[in-house]
Formats: sequence, C-alpha cells, structure tokens
Amino acid sequence: MTRYIIRRLLWGVLLLVVVLALLFVMFYILPTADPAKLRAGRLQNPKIIAEIRHTYGLDKSLPAQFWLYLKNLFLHFNLGYSYYSNAPVKELIFNRLPATLSLVLGGAVIWVIAGLSVGIISARRAGSRLDRASMGTALVFVSAPEYWLGLLALFFFASDIGKIHLLPGAGSYVGLTAEPAKWFTSLIMPWLVVAAGTAAIYARLIRGSLIETMGEDYIRTARAKGLTERRVVLRHGLRSAINPIVTVLGVDIAVLLGSSVLVETVFDIPGIGRLNYIAITHSDYPIIQGTVLFASLFVIVANIVVDIAYAFLDPRVRYS
Amino acid sequence: MRALRTILLVAFVAAVMTTLAACGSSSSSSSSGTSSSGGSSLPAGVKNPVDESLTGGKKGGVLNEVQAEDFEHLDPGQAYFQLDYQITNSTQRSLYSYEPNTFSQTTPDLAEGEPKISDGNKLITINIKKGVHFSPPVNREVTADDVVYAFDRVANPNVANPYYLGYLESIEGMKDAKGGPIPGVKATGKDTIQIKLTEPQAAIVVASMVLPWTAPVPKDYAAKYDAKKPSEYGNYQVASGPYMMKNNSEGKVLGIGYQPGKSLTLVRNPNWNASTDFRPAYLDQINIAIGGDANVIGRQVLEGSDMVQSDAPAAPIVKLAVQQHPSQLTISAGGGAGDRYVAVNNSDGPFKNVNLRKALWAATDREALNRLRGGKTVADVMTHFLWNGIAGFEESGGFPGPKVDYNESPTGDMKVAEKYMKLAGYPSGKYTGSETVQVVGDSSAPANNVAEAVNSTLQKLGFKTKLNLVEHTVMYSKYCGVVSEKIDVCPNVGWVPDFGDPQAVLDVPFNGNLIVKNGTNSNWGLVNHPKINAAMEAAAKVVGEKARGEAWAKIDEELVAEAVAIPYQWAKEAYIESKNVNGINDYWNSGTFNYAFTSLK
Repeated sequence: MTRYIIRRLLWGVLLLVVVLALLFVMFYILPTADPAKLRAGRLQNPKIIAEIRHTYGLDKSLPAQFWLYLKNLFLHFNLGYSYYSNAPVKELIFNRLPATLSLVLGGAVIWVIAGLSVGIISARRAGSRLDRASMGTALVFVSAPEYWLGLLALFFFASDIGKIHLLPGAGSYVGLTAEPAKWFTSLIMPWLVVAAGTAAIYARLIRGSLIETMGEDYIRTARAKGLTERRVVLRHGLRSAINPIVTVLGVDIAVLLGSSVLVETVFDIPGIGRLNYIAITHSDYPIIQGTVLFASLFVIVANIVVDIAYAFLDPRVRYS
Repeated sequence: MRALRTILLVAFVAAVMTTLAACGSSSSSSSSGTSSSGGSSLPAGVKNPVDESLTGGKKGGVLNEVQAEDFEHLDPGQAYFQLDYQITNSTQRSLYSYEPNTFSQTTPDLAEGEPKISDGNKLITINIKKGVHFSPPVNREVTADDVVYAFDRVANPNVANPYYLGYLESIEGMKDAKGGPIPGVKATGKDTIQIKLTEPQAAIVVASMVLPWTAPVPKDYAAKYDAKKPSEYGNYQVASGPYMMKNNSEGKVLGIGYQPGKSLTLVRNPNWNASTDFRPAYLDQINIAIGGDANVIGRQVLEGSDMVQSDAPAAPIVKLAVQQHPSQLTISAGGGAGDRYVAVNNSDGPFKNVNLRKALWAATDREALNRLRGGKTVADVMTHFLWNGIAGFEESGGFPGPKVDYNESPTGDMKVAEKYMKLAGYPSGKYTGSETVQVVGDSSAPANNVAEAVNSTLQKLGFKTKLNLVEHTVMYSKYCGVVSEKIDVCPNVGWVPDFGDPQAVLDVPFNGNLIVKNGTNSNWGLVNHPKINAAMEAAAKVVGEKARGEAWAKIDEELVAEAVAIPYQWAKEAYIESKNVNGINDYWNSGTFNYAFTSLK
C-alpha cells in the first residue's frame, strides 16, 4: 500500500511539472496578445513597449523566463505580481481561498446529502410517482445553468431585490471569522445553487447504482439472514453502490474550487473564480497563471486522495 | 488615449444587448417623449451631466458604489482608464481639472491660475497653490518640487506610464528621460515650475495637465517605491485631494483600502484644506464593492438606497431605468463618451481608392449598426470625426455633419454608393476586382453583429470578403493595430479622448506621421494623407480654444472629404443611482460619478 501511495504521489508531482510547462507555453510562448503591448495602451511607441517589457522581465529569453518562474515558484513560492495592481498573486489567491472553500465545501455537503437521500428513496421506490417526480426534477436541475438558477434565486428570494425578502442577496458575503452568523446566511442561496446540479447528478448515479446492487446475491443473503431492510440498504447496498460517488466527489470539489466563477459572480462572492474572471478580462497573465496552477493542483491532489481512498474501499486496486 | 473598455463591459452583457435595440429606437418616440441636449436626444426625465447643479449638496453620509469591473492602475502616474480616473479625481489634485459639467473649460486645481506661456509657445510657467497638504503619513505641504518629481517619474520605466510621450515629447530631455531629473522641468521657487519645450507645442502639453500624472508626488517618500520593478508607489500612495484610500500608518493601501477585485474604501483626507479646492466633498466615505452580475447590481442600485453603479449598467437595467426610474438615470452624450467607426485601410488594398471608401460610407446603414449596439438611448449617428462638447464640433457640421452625398442618409443609400463605385472604375456599380477583402472584428456580441453587418454591406457592393472574428484585445494587438497585417476593414474600433481638445480626438487615429510600425498602432485605417498630416502638425501649434477648434474643424472636414473611415456612433454612457443619491457625473470622463461632488439627499 505504501508503494502504491508513493507511486501516486510521484505521478502527481510529475503531472504538476507538466502542467507548469504547459502553462508557460500557453502564457509566454503562445499568448493571444503581447502583455507589454496590452499594458502600453493605445498611445504607445516602441520605446514605451521596450521599457515595459524590460520592467516585467519579458525581454529575457524564454528558457531564462521559465527558469526564473520555476525558481520563484519552488524556492520562494512566489507566483509573481499582478500586471495592474502589482499585488503579489500568492496573496491575492490566499485572500480569496476562504470564500471559495466556504462556497464549495458547503455546497458539497448539501449535494452529497441531497443526492444520496433522493437517490436512495428513488431506488427503493423505482417506478413510483415519487421516483418519476424526483428524477424529473433532477433532470431540470442538471439542465439548468448555474448562472440562471442563481439569478432566479436572487430575483425571488433575495432580501434586497427579491419578490420574497427571505435571504441575504448578492454582495452580502462576509468572512467566517468576521461574522459567523452572517457568513452562514449569506451562503445559503449560493450553496443551494452550486449544489443543485451536482446533487441531481449524484441522485441519478446513486439510484442506478443502488438498483443494480440491490439485485446482487449478497443482498439476498443479507435479507435471508433476517436483517432489517434499512440495514440491508444502508449497510450492505449503499456501501457498495457509493463507490462511483466517491470517485467523482473529490474531482468535483477540486474542479469547482478552481472554476466556481459563475456562482461567485452572480452572488458577488470574492473567490478565486471571480479573481480569475477579472484577470482574464484584463489579460493579467500572472493571476491567470496562478489561479490555473492552483486549480490544477486541486485536481491533482483530489485525484490522489480519491485513488488512495478507492484503494482502501476496493482491495483489488492496491495490488494492481 | 484610453481604450474603449466599455466595449468589454458591453460585451459582458452582450446576450441581452440586442433586446435594447428595439427599445432604444422606440424610447425616443414613446409617450414619455424626449429631451434634447445639443442635438442629442435623451429620454424624458433622464439627467444629463452638462445640466447638473454642482452646489447645495447635503454634507455627510456614506456612499456605497458597486461596479462589475476592477480598477486597472491607481498610481496617478499610471492611471489611464475611466474607473481609475474616478479615484484619482477624488484623491489627487492635478495641475488643472475639469468641473463635472464641462469638457472644454479647465479649472486651475493645484495650479494657482492659468499657465503663463511665453518664448513663442516654448516656455510654460505655472504657480501652484499654497496650503495644499499631502495625506498621512507624509502630511507636509505640497511644493513645486513634488510636481517636478511627478514629471520625472512619468518617464520612469518602473512606473510604465503608457502615454506620456504622446503629449510630452516636446519637453526638453523628455525623450531620453528614464526617471531622473528632466532638464526641461525645473522648480524655480517653492511654488513655481518652469517647463521648457524644444518645439512650440505648449497647447497640447498644457491640455494634458488635466490628466492625473501631474498630481504632486513626494520624492522623499515615493522614491523608494519607484525604485522597485515595477513601482509600488500605487500601493503606498498619498493623496493631495479631499479623499484618500484607507491606509495603515506606513501608508500601505494594498490589502487595506484596496483589495484588488474585491473592494476599495475612500475616506476623508484629514489634511485637505477646503479653501484651496473647488470640490465641495460632501460625502464622508465611499465604499466601493467590485464584482457581481451587472443585472443584479443594477437592480440593487435602482431599488436600494445610498448606492451608485460606476460602470455601464446592463441593457435591461437601462431599459428599466428609462421606463420606471428616469430620474435615477444619467446619460452622458458626447464629451468623453467616445466614438465607434469602421476603419478601412487607406494605404493598402482596394480601399486605397477614395471612391471605394466613399461608396462603403454611402452604403452603410449607420442607424442599423447603432441599433445593434443599443439604439438611440446609448448612441447618436456619427456624421464626422469631432464630437459634441469638443471645440470645432459645430464648425465642422454639428450633428448633421458635412453636406456630402455619401453622408446624407444615415440608413445608407445604394444609389449614391453605386455612383462612387462607378467613379472608382467599376461601371457595373459592383466591385469586380480580384482582391478579397479581409475583415477582422470583435467576436463578442454586440460587436460581432456589427462586424457581420459591415461584412454584408461589403458583399452587397460586390466585394469578396474573409471575415475573421477574434477576442477584443487580440483584434487590436494581433490584427487591426499591426501595420504589417494590412487588414482591409476593422469594423469594431473606437476612440475615447484623454482630454477635451480636438487634437486628442483626431491626431493619433488619423495622423499618418504617428503610425507606429513596431508596436500596436492606433491609426487602424493607416490613414496617411500628407496634406492632412501637415495640417495636423500645424494645428498642434495653434493656441487658444477657439483658434484650435477652427483649425481642427478644417482637418475634420478634410477627413470626411477623404472618407478616411466610416463613422457610425457617437457613444452615450448610462449611469444609475439610488433614489436618495444626488449623483454628479463627470462629462469629461465618459459620465462616471464624481465622488467629490456627489451627495446623499
């Protein structure tokens, strides 16, 4: 098992280096626009462009720039500075991380609980009206874009612009440590919106998986032993049926940590996704690079965690 | 020149923009009627920055401002964007400024009075006011040396000012300056600055002094930040105006008063002396929240209190404001709002032929192009190249524009187009040449719709076209702004002037002598007519608003006679505020809010 974990970790590091190289190629060798020219605005001349290029180190050779980038990253954990505010990218990302973590982890709790509950009930009553209604609703949530759901939620339930003044609306987010109660209420709507689509997918996944599992011989054996139906489902059926969910949960969380831009924008939550969006609109490459690197790191780490967790859940994996 | 960042903002709400096309065109004929402002019609009840009352505001209160977009550079030596100017205008005192309702008449700000120009327009002498102090932690009185340092640092590569050479190249030593003392700029006393020029171009140098780069910077405090690559002064800046960004005892602003992409807080500058300033500074504090969805924040502003939105509201919000909250809507027409035109290549390809350019002008349905961008509510049909609010506008034709047949019909006239096609050597009235016209436009809506409409007009004239739609910044930096690409038609270009002078409107986009061959060029049509170039060089030296207006109006007429581009939109900018806010907007700065004049009711 230890060898398996070490092997996965080494692959993770290698993958990270590949991602870094790709990022460098994307932003330094094949940029869609020259950052020095963008920075120079429209009333520019070659002297100004050259000066800007020199100031930002863009006049160095590509290997020198890559080496400098790696050195700064690994030795000083320096992700560079914003072309616009000159703020350290590392500081900007860490400043935004709590908001994104709050949104994504809270949303994940909701989508796991809701997805599992609806999936189990639907599986146990497959074909019933309740099942059809649940799966129909799930289909609606899977199809509905998060952005649209967010706007709808605000226009119905936000305390400022909603038809029913129920929950704090856009721009109400505060940090957990600043005002815990306000933090919680300000995130209820975003959590529900971010969870809706994924919960629906999980419900459909768990339903299918559980229906299949409940037909297995060992389930019949469990029933024959006289176990209660609740115990059969939760202890024996679900334990096996949940494997596909474990596989996707880690990656779903990781992906969302780097790409929750839509919900963050609608609800005006200052997270990493919105930081990335604003950087893209300004072609602020160091920030884009930093946020993409972090997003990749989340996915790589999540994959390693999932692989290791899977190895614990399925003994066949650790020997493969 | 500031980039048309509003294009990006509009692109962000593009999906809904076309819905305004119909409403925009119908709003003026609705039962609510319209009001007219110098020929530009505004929906009834909507405010116009030029008519705003600048006095009588209530003192005190906290204004909450929301904006979807972030600032770019808040260092006064770098700032070059209307949202940035909104901050520097409240925190810094440049030598001269505009009052909110004008784009032509400057007011001495840090300067004590008008500049003294002598030595045949080659020497500028300016006295600065006494009693102006820097904010904490510097606290001391501003002197002429602080303005001299502002001149020095604008050429410092670490500050990376993007425009200084365009206006200040004639200052002695400026061309070779690297941040050290500039031979032509000296403090000749505690309160006096002298600027020596190598060319008689005092007018443009003085005109550019409304920009924030002339705000004083204390060398003793700022030099250590300016030595960093890039300069970090912006994150530790001190104020000379009525407000300052919230900072700590060391003067650090970043992470305290300004959190990029998140928030900015302006508080009163405790060292500001009201008796030296023309700004009333009613508000106690301004909290700016950055980010959010334009539809949501627009509704929050219209239905909430103590709020304004500083960037362009989403199209449905403008529509809602026109219909239900007109008194909470301000539309700035002309002045600093900018323009949009179709750039056609005057130097290469088929449009080197002036008659083909005239044919395209005549065939273009400019009203339709404007409808695609929001209609009459946010645009006037552009008929020539100077704008309302800029000296020379009336002399060069006002709103109707010069009386030439290809400019007569804003909806396009194919008969006139056919006439010019024949004059260009195509007897059938259609282009029969072998060249394929390369059209490069912006891929985001509504600009892409404009590009496609122009492409369709070209095809109606018989041209074979190749339309390439790319991301906005790529359009400029890889295609339309690159001389060697020889793009024939760029339908999505636009211009915003830095200050209210006709030279700032016409010089860079249309002066062939300023074509940048090894950078990103801003003369997208490669307009290079020796007669016009010479006229521009001569007009640059003219002094006095009226005389400059007349000189540049003649150049405008020449530009129309040569049909150097197809103008279609004098832009208008919309801004919204809560019911209890008496928002004052800067006509010169695309109509953005002026915090130093805005108050709560």
